Amino acid sequence: MTRLQINQDLKALNNQIAVENREKFAAHNVYVINIMGSPGAGKTTFLENILPKLSLELRVAVIEGDLATQNDALRIEKTGVQALQINTAGGCHLDAKMIKNQLSKLDLDVLDLLIIENVGNLVCPAAWDLGEDQRMVILSVAEGEDKPAKYPIAFLKADTAVITKTDLLPFIDTDVNVMKKYIAEINPKVQVFTTALKDGEYEADQVVQYIREAVRRKQCR
Amino acid sequence: MHETALMKNLLTTIEQVLDSHHVSRVNRVYLSVGQLSNALPEALSFAFEAMTREGRLQGAELIIENRPAVARCESCGEEYRVEKFPLVCPTCRSTSFIIISGEEVYVQSIDCEEKCPDD
Ligand SMILES: Nc1nc2c(ncn2[C@@H]2O[C@H](COP(=O)(O)OP(=O)(O)OP(=O)(O)O)[C@@H](O)[C@H]2O)c(=O)[nH]1
Ligand SMILES: [Mg+2]
Ligand SMILES: [Zn+2]
Repeated sequence: MTRLQINQDLKALNNQIAVENREKFAAHNVYVINIMGSPGAGKTTFLENILPKLSLELRVAVIEGDLATQNDALRIEKTGVQALQINTAGGCHLDAKMIKNQLSKLDLDVLDLLIIENVGNLVCPAAWDLGEDQRMVILSVAEGEDKPAKYPIAFLKADTAVITKTDLLPFIDTDVNVMKKYIAEINPKVQVFTTALKDGEYEADQVVQYIREAVRRKQCR
Repeated sequence: MHETALMKNLLTTIEQVLDSHHVSRVNRVYLSVGQLSNALPEALSFAFEAMTREGRLQGAELIIENRPAVARCESCGEEYRVEKFPLVCPTCRSTSFIIISGEEVYVQSIDCEEKCPDD
């Protein structure tokens, strides 16, 4: 019997393509956000509401990842922003190759910001680098305050977290401060924001401002 | 759930190695699975079994070694095991850290039977 040494990370190919994607984004001065969160956390609703504001100053495009359907891409297109849909056909996460395959459909020269909405799943997407600059976790108050403790890896790898549906707080027993404390216990570096739907208005000004500044910082480097 | 994707990569990786060696049978595959990889050993074994019912790895056994995650303190440089959150440096009590290992899913080696030169 012979032992053959292999010593290879099974995500090596993904990580290599992610590096290529990142280099390409840098060469074209495009800032990229990878949004992750459970099914129904409010990722697409968040985008529908922030895109019109971001588009006032930035040229934006969106890549939507779902198991099936074009629904989310169609919702995004209604805001006037270009949206590409990836269907993973059962795959629980987007990978760097899927993003690379979409890039020929985008004119990166006329783009400042690319937002990727990952497949609804708080577990798997965290393990796959796409070449993004910022990892954002979206989490609704309806999921319960202990979710960061139960799904630590997503938060460990996040740069920002957005707590959505705070308008529901009067009806449930989630304490946002406890939720924030759980996030900070796992990763004190995560910037946490909250959004709310009030009288038909979606409030997300702070995170919009944060994204604008992050894009500008990359472009001024 | 992405265990299936990982196991597909595993098969591709091993098949590349087999292409450049004279191997008649693979007996064992040694895999290291990091604590923060989000890959469940049971699900990896299940996917491995399903994918090696036929083909060049038929009958091979998957041996999984769980690897702990390690953090490095950003204040004093101490490296320590990730056990429970919040992470606190055992030396200086700082809560500022970076994770330096624990995300990997890594094929170490395979045990196999080599073909005789005239086979
Ligand atoms: N009350 C309230 N409902 C919201 C809010 N944001 C989203 N929703 C609702 O939550 C549901 C799911 O929202 P989506 O934006 O589709 O969620 P998603 O995370 O994109 O879902 P997937 O892409 O399927 O994973 C919809 O019915 C939204 O109307 C909010 O701030 N407040
Ligand atoms: Mg969505
Ligand atoms: Zn220390």
